[in-house]
Amino acid sequence: MTNSVEVPAAGGASASGPARKGWNPTLFLVFPTVGLLAAFLVFPYLNMVVMSFRNPSTSQVFAPGFTLGNYLDALLDTDLYYLEILLDTMVLGAATTAICLVLGFPVAYHLARTSSRFKSVLYAFVLSPLLVGVVVRCYGWIIILGNNDGLINTTLMDLGIIESPLALMYNTFGVSVGLVHIFLPFMILPLLGAIQSIDPALEEAAQSLGASRFRTMLRVVFPLSLPGVQAGTVLVFVLTISSYVIPILLGGFSVMIMPTLVVQQLMDAMLWPFGAALAFILSIAGALVVYVYFRLTSRAIRGIA
Amino acid sequence: MTDEAPREAHGTAPAGGGRLRRRAGRVGYLGIVVLVYVYLLTPLVIVVLASVNAGEFLTFPPEGFSLRWYVSFFESEAFMGSLFFSLRLAFFATIVSTALGVAVALYVVRFAGRWRERLRLFILLPLLLPEILTAIALLFFYYNAEAFFRAMGFDLGSGVFRNSVLGLLIGHVLITLPFVFLGISASLYNFDRSLEEAARSLGASRLTTFRRVTLPIIKPGIIAGALLAFIISFDLFNISLLLKGIGIATLPIQLFDYVRWEFDPTAAAVATVSIVITVIAILITEKLVGLRSLRF
Amino acid sequence: MTELAIRGLSKRFGDVAAVDGFELRIGDHELISLLGPSGCGKTTTLRCIAGFESPTAGRILFDDRDVVGLPPERRNIGMVFQNYALFPHMTVRQNLAFGLEMRGVSKGEIGQRIARVLETVQLGDLGERYPRQLSGGQQQRIALARAMVVEPSILLLDEPLANLDAKLREEMRFFVRSLQKRVGITTVYVTHDQAEAMVISDRIVVMFDGRIHQVGAPDEIYSRPVSREVANFIGLSNFVDGRVLGAGDNGEFRLETQVGTLRCAYSETLAEGREVALIVRPEAIVLSGAAPADSAGSAGNAIAGRVSERYFLGNITGYRIACADGLVLQVQDDPWAGFGVGDEVWCTFDAAHAWIIPD
Ligand SMILES: Nc1ncnc2c1ncn2[C@@H]1O[C@H](COP(=O)(O)OP(=O)(O)OP(=O)(O)O)[C@@H](O)[C@H]1O
Ligand SMILES: [Mg+2]
Repeated sequence: MTNSVEVPAAGGASASGPARKGWNPTLFLVFPTVGLLAAFLVFPYLNMVVMSFRNPSTSQVFAPGFTLGNYLDALLDTDLYYLEILLDTMVLGAATTAICLVLGFPVAYHLARTSSRFKSVLYAFVLSPLLVGVVVRCYGWIIILGNNDGLINTTLMDLGIIESPLALMYNTFGVSVGLVHIFLPFMILPLLGAIQSIDPALEEAAQSLGASRFRTMLRVVFPLSLPGVQAGTVLVFVLTISSYVIPILLGGFSVMIMPTLVVQQLMDAMLWPFGAALAFILSIAGALVVYVYFRLTSRAIRGIA
Repeated sequence: MTDEAPREAHGTAPAGGGRLRRRAGRVGYLGIVVLVYVYLLTPLVIVVLASVNAGEFLTFPPEGFSLRWYVSFFESEAFMGSLFFSLRLAFFATIVSTALGVAVALYVVRFAGRWRERLRLFILLPLLLPEILTAIALLFFYYNAEAFFRAMGFDLGSGVFRNSVLGLLIGHVLITLPFVFLGISASLYNFDRSLEEAARSLGASRLTTFRRVTLPIIKPGIIAGALLAFIISFDLFNISLLLKGIGIATLPIQLFDYVRWEFDPTAAAVATVSIVITVIAILITEKLVGLRSLRF
Repeated sequence: MTELAIRGLSKRFGDVAAVDGFELRIGDHELISLLGPSGCGKTTTLRCIAGFESPTAGRILFDDRDVVGLPPERRNIGMVFQNYALFPHMTVRQNLAFGLEMRGVSKGEIGQRIARVLETVQLGDLGERYPRQLSGGQQQRIALARAMVVEPSILLLDEPLANLDAKLREEMRFFVRSLQKRVGITTVYVTHDQAEAMVISDRIVVMFDGRIHQVGAPDEIYSRPVSREVANFIGLSNFVDGRVLGAGDNGEFRLETQVGTLRCAYSETLAEGREVALIVRPEAIVLSGAAPADSAGSAGNAIAGRVSERYFLGNITGYRIACADGLVLQVQDDPWAGFGVGDEVWCTFDAAHAWIIPD
């Protein structure tokens, strides 16, 4: 019998023997990525913090020295201009989130429970908006909602239903339609995951106890899917309050929210320190809202778990 | 006494009325579901329709079929230039983030030990932070880094990062990396380690085992992650907007500038082509590995 | 072929001693089973032999060569995994060729050896299938073939039959055993199924909590267990606590128990007055309606009791007999014995069929 693999004598050098101490070659796998993220993510964010405390300048992007002025200017503005925009942003975020939840829940439930042959097609439908660029999707809405030549307005006027065009775009309505559309998949996917993990037998149990479908939904399915609800709502809220393209394209400058304001300060007015301060005010406000929301909802979730 | 109540409830709800109400509820529920699907898909369908519509504006009913907007797109140097630029950028971003993603996913799943969760979170950071903020941070950082090098006496030129493809590429890699990482680490977590042990027991070295057993089996995860990265990069907007240089614009940026001020359906042709490219990428994914391998 | 010696093998995972002081020599051509409850360290022992775990202490010798520190691929082992671990992206033939390619065997020879091994496992025409296109039993045999085709020095199997249904599992036991005997390869076989271990092994190693309790041939383990754990793990047992009264004739001891004086075989010496347990297997006990003629006679023991339960198992009938002082004896008798619940019976058994466990 021939054994082509040599079994060397005792004590032969080993590659995978007892744990070696010190330098570990597997670290080569992780260093490039960690280096990249440290240099081009962590460091830039720290740098942005510093930038928000820089002195403004008219000729350069910032002047030497540090100041709290950028924050004070934004927060203590006598017209409350910036705080009002901040509040508008949060309200828009909350509204978009609520609408996404109401529209997304039935779809997620249906997708989770359907045994249709077309299940994967429906899944692709839910995913598809995610995979098409936000500009393209907004452009679709522009064609539909356009205030003068939009599909809806021209059709309604041709039919004689309305005299003059409706204002469907360049207002909060248009922006909301776009925001909900773009972010709905981010609501549906976590809900889908949560609902799929609920044992259908629980629903049958509720119905066997005399609950109607609607009450089963309300009393059993919804509470059990709260973790998914929490994930989805936070995701949509955060995405909404930091969205830029949709408000610009569907709202023009008549719907001013924080991200549009920030980019305006940076790109048009070249006020980098002030823009950075505004960006941080938005981040901190958003984080606070999410934190409070988490505290409130986590209690409810723990109650059911 | 107590068990009287439910019986009564059953008794007073006449079967006919209850069924009607249930039917109505079900129709309402399915109605909402259908409407949401319509809502999700309409803009995409409309864009495609507008691109082959003869008239300036999409009307109902449409004015007839025409490819003239495509002709106008293909004759537009700006659009064609940015289309190819976007494709190239997405290609390189995909290559880089896939290479990094495979390596780091391997480390996180296999070797990270008690650092695993923290490291995972760190790599997902670009996904968790608002893209617009990351874009702003990068913009400042590039500016400051260039100024810093200049002050140190290394004039790298004003276009090392800003106004350069490199700066843009780094931004795209940052954003696409988490997607690749998620796809690959999911397939590594599902990977049955005893397959590797079987290979080792049969005499294969670590490297051979990786090449002949591990890699072929996690390939679907890698391909799915890479194609997703390609799609994401191809459609990326905020990073590109803030980091674009003079004279280099990605397709979404070019489209954005166009639809802000002009309304003619050339934009629809451009948008349709971009949808088609995405659909092709998805079909390749589906063909190679199945859509289910796409993970978010 | 190869002789395997394991000297003082210990493996700790943090605070857990998965294997503790494992000592064993496994001879050429021998098939040894590691048997024990879940978590007792069987897999860990096997993985140490294979090289997937490095021992905390101890030596592992293949024909007097210490292999500790050698990576698995240089130990020339063959291993069969519980879930088979067939490469899903390779056909059966490619799976079988893998180990041979690693050994640089020529193409022509690979073909011949694969053909031969497929013949051996009686799956000659399945070479081009993928693993998912095979039934569980076929996958199992291919996994076995893949490990054997490289002609390893040592064959290691970790619960290779655990995923098969009961019927197939019984068939495969004989298949594995006859194959091993034919090829004559030194084999370590992990299982927690005692029947499987009995059928297949030359010797059985019974483990609890990382330690070896007993090593021996199947009949020895069964009829002369060294500890309560071993007796309990393998088959059903009755224990009767007692105290040594003294030695009788031909290696017997007399014990004083709650049901009177009993006599029992035992091969070692026991001090008078020592607390021990007598163990007797249910099938060693014979039920009779009347007291035996000479209940204190030289040959047998007899305990009076009342049938409290009776159950039919097909080839045998089981009883639970309530005896004096709360002692309950389990008895298995032939299915024709006609005792019913409530009957007064005598349980008799031969001194030679009982055994002593010194607690
Ligand atoms: N990699 C590991 N890390 C920590 N503990 C481990 C590891 N592998 C095994 N153990 C522990 O070592 C002990 C023995 O495990 P082992 O897998 O050898 O048991 P086993 O006898 O094969 O059990 P089973 O019959 O369930 O397969 C168990 O307590 C187990 O929890
Ligand atoms: Mg085990």
